[in-house]
Amino acid sequence: MKRVISTFTIVVFCQFLYSQISNIIPSPIAIAQTSVADSHNWAAFNNPAMLGYIENSEMGIGYENRYQLSELSTKTGQLALPNSLINVGFSFSHFGYSLYHEMLLGVGFARNFSDKFAMGMQFDYYTAFFTASNSYHGAFIPQVGLSVKLSSGFNLGFHSFNPFQINIKTEFITKRIPSIFSLGTECFLSPEVVWRTQVDKEVSSNYRFASGFEYQMLQNLKLKLGAYGSDYLVPCLGFGFKTGAFLVDLNCEQHPLLGLNTIAGIKYRFGK
Amino acid sequence: MKHLLIYLFLLLVCSCPTRAQDVVSTTEQLIADIFEQYTAESEESIDYDSFFEDLLFCAQNPINLNQATREQMEKLPFLSDIQIENILSYVYQFGQMQTIYELQLVDGLDMTDIRRMLPFVLVGEAGNMNKKIYWNDLLKYGKNEVYFRLDKGLETKEGYRFLPEEDQNQIINNSKSYLGNDLYNSLRYRFHYKDRIQFGVTAEKDAGEQFWGTTHKGYDFYSFHAQLNNFGKFKTVVVGDFRANFGQGLVLHSEFGVGKSSYVLNVTPRSFGLKKFSSTDENNFFRGGGATIRLGKLNLTSFYSNKMIDGDTVNGTFQTILKTGYHRTLDELSKKHTVNQQIIGGNATYTNMNLQVGITAVHTMLDNRLTPDKSVYNYFYFSGKKQTTGGISYRYRWKKLNLFGETAMTDNGSMATLNGCYFSPISQMSLVALQRYYSPEYDTFYASSFSETSRINNESGLYLGAEVRPFRKWKFAVYADSYRFPWPKYGIDAPSLGKDYLLQADFAAKRNVIMYWRFKFEEKQTNFSNSSSVMPVIVPSKKISVRYQLTYSYGNFSFKNVFDGNLVRKADSTWTYGVIASQDVSYVFHSIPLKVDFRYQFFDAVNYENRLYSYEKDVLYAFSIPMYYGLGSRYYLNLQYDLNKNLSLWFKIAQTVYADDRESLSSGNETISGNRKTDIRLMLKWEF
Repeated sequence: MKRVISTFTIVVFCQFLYSQISNIIPSPIAIAQTSVADSHNWAAFNNPAMLGYIENSEMGIGYENRYQLSELSTKTGQLALPNSLINVGFSFSHFGYSLYHEMLLGVGFARNFSDKFAMGMQFDYYTAFFTASNSYHGAFIPQVGLSVKLSSGFNLGFHSFNPFQINIKTEFITKRIPSIFSLGTECFLSPEVVWRTQVDKEVSSNYRFASGFEYQMLQNLKLKLGAYGSDYLVPCLGFGFKTGAFLVDLNCEQHPLLGLNTIAGIKYRFGK
Repeated sequence: MKHLLIYLFLLLVCSCPTRAQDVVSTTEQLIADIFEQYTAESEESIDYDSFFEDLLFCAQNPINLNQATREQMEKLPFLSDIQIENILSYVYQFGQMQTIYELQLVDGLDMTDIRRMLPFVLVGEAGNMNKKIYWNDLLKYGKNEVYFRLDKGLETKEGYRFLPEEDQNQIINNSKSYLGNDLYNSLRYRFHYKDRIQFGVTAEKDAGEQFWGTTHKGYDFYSFHAQLNNFGKFKTVVVGDFRANFGQGLVLHSEFGVGKSSYVLNVTPRSFGLKKFSSTDENNFFRGGGATIRLGKLNLTSFYSNKMIDGDTVNGTFQTILKTGYHRTLDELSKKHTVNQQIIGGNATYTNMNLQVGITAVHTMLDNRLTPDKSVYNYFYFSGKKQTTGGISYRYRWKKLNLFGETAMTDNGSMATLNGCYFSPISQMSLVALQRYYSPEYDTFYASSFSETSRINNESGLYLGAEVRPFRKWKFAVYADSYRFPWPKYGIDAPSLGKDYLLQADFAAKRNVIMYWRFKFEEKQTNFSNSSSVMPVIVPSKKISVRYQLTYSYGNFSFKNVFDGNLVRKADSTWTYGVIASQDVSYVFHSIPLKVDFRYQFFDAVNYENRLYSYEKDVLYAFSIPMYYGLGSRYYLNLQYDLNKNLSLWFKIAQTVYADDRESLSSGNETISGNRKTDIRLMLKWEF
């Protein structure tokens, strides 16, 4: 019981302190969570337009361990299947543990238009177990995304998660599902260095400002450095490693109050 | 030399294949964008109907640049006086234009200006404007248009909860409940033969007004207009509903007003003379007839209007003219058409090469005495049954200087004067200076000109504006305005001062990528609410606004991103902020005649002082600039489908969702339970 109470307390506390607005939306592997304009990676439940740029099928899994507490972890799986007409992506996310958990399941569609811009749309189903009614409740949520290549080295990204502010309302419970508006840029300072910026606004939370650099040091190794701020400034450090068709990413975020947050992901890209 | 330049230019144009679509794809969208620029800094509701209809009419009947007069060119509101002068001067100096692209050679016009002009102008042989009209031509080439529009809110408002049909006692019990249903409906018919003959009928019912029942038998508002142009000595003849605009607007300007905007050089209203009125605005027009006769260089105009207006009359007096046009409740209906207003007026304008001088006079008569409930701020407002106003206006071109102005006086001896000068020292730079003085006692019915507020009285100030094109693709517009209210105003209980500055940088990166940054600073004085002093205390209030807009297009898609924010500080309180960010996506189908616009917008302006306005696309003839105050998001879908060559359909659905835990929206009869507001609009256009 103590474990339940302490976990619940931390979850609630995190809602106020942690600038990522919802635990159920997995953090992307882009440094400082600047994924909205990241044209090289599609992250599950982030900007679905990025799915449009994928040329080869890929699958990946991710694990986010918030503040060294397995009860606050988010597990993610994603699969992208490109084809000539429209790219299709499937994603799944699970937050929590046996006594409290939330799940998100999504299917997304995106298309790249002549490599000038990409648009995407995703339909998600959110569900969680509510002890008040001793049952699962869920809701369908849309996501829309856009990515525009304004020039060869400058991209703009827009994403909205739950734009219609759909919430779960039953006789006993009202569960707010986050509604997030994100805008960001991606600028290639050189072929090896990319700089991203992003602003997120969850409609009832503070703004989140994020910026980060990714430097391709070696052909197989990428170094990432960035920070984001909402109530607190959170420095972020990470690296990416590529071996064959596998891509491995590990990011660390040091929250001044809550401690270390680690995000790890492995992706496998199929050949053509 | 001139022709060599033209050919070189044509070669250049032809050698650039069209790869990207222009940012603005349709004339309707172009007009809306121009209007948005005008109204971006304005909080007043401006009659979009007339603005749109005039420009659409210009698109259907383009102005021939080779025989255009200043008056005709002034119909294009985005052109500054200097640009108009330069175009006229070019044609006068070099003769008729051979191609529209010759506009590139006119000083002070860049590609953005030319692209804006293209739908509204043509280059052709100068013809006879007074050509005789035959019945056969009228029937064959005349164009008929019918517009039908429906608006409806999906959420039930408080005022519709008990309709009189459901409860007959409701009318007796509550004079403030709406009598009709929640549908807005308008029906318009237009006929025009080139720009020579125009006539039409407009009918409108606002939401809440009864269509058929005890209080109404049909629409609440009807309007008829007819206008003839260039018939012998008659330059213009209007019958029915019309508007009149002369001089700089200090005496008579019932048209779309101009003021401070990012078109920094366009500071004075255009003098259109008599013009048909075909809008659904139920207040700002004349009803009767008038004519303008051309006598060589002299134009003589005379008109008469007799119409009923709304007012809360008591014992032969009324306190204010009601301008909303709403007649939804018994209370509102009791004030409908209670006052008779007669207006007689005239104008004489003499024009030669460099000089234009005009005299305007208007006499207004009311059958009930207007007696405002006097307090300090409105102490000098007009009261009485009759008023006469007269004024003299001028324009004079002297070398590179264009001087303009008007001085007007009412029969109580109060004066208003406005004087200014345009100057273009080099082709990349245009300057304007404008000084105005409107006495506190000057208050006339149909004045509309350059002013900080909507009234032309109790103000003096100096405005300086400049437009600079230092590099290719870049344009900078800047203005500074300093003003003084010598007498208290509404919400300001003492004489006060104010100033505002604007800087806008436009960058046309490519043909399909344009953007601008706008910065505005305002400082004005307002009442200090926490003061315990018996004497009024006013304190400065500051507002800083920034806006970034990016518009780009690829193929059939076009996109727009807007970031708009402000910071406000009142008295010694802290700065508060308001923010709007939006993403627009538009798509034009090639295989089917369908256009789709989608927007998602987020807003965060918790305090009312930080409220923001944002233009959004709408059905034809409608223009939305909703106010955003609170926290939430708004999204809409706008569709245009051409059913066939003659029939087009527009449909819009928009929803605003508030996330600041409010349980109801609006107030009074307009109250909606919940945090969502959804509106749908439908428009049908039939051309034959």
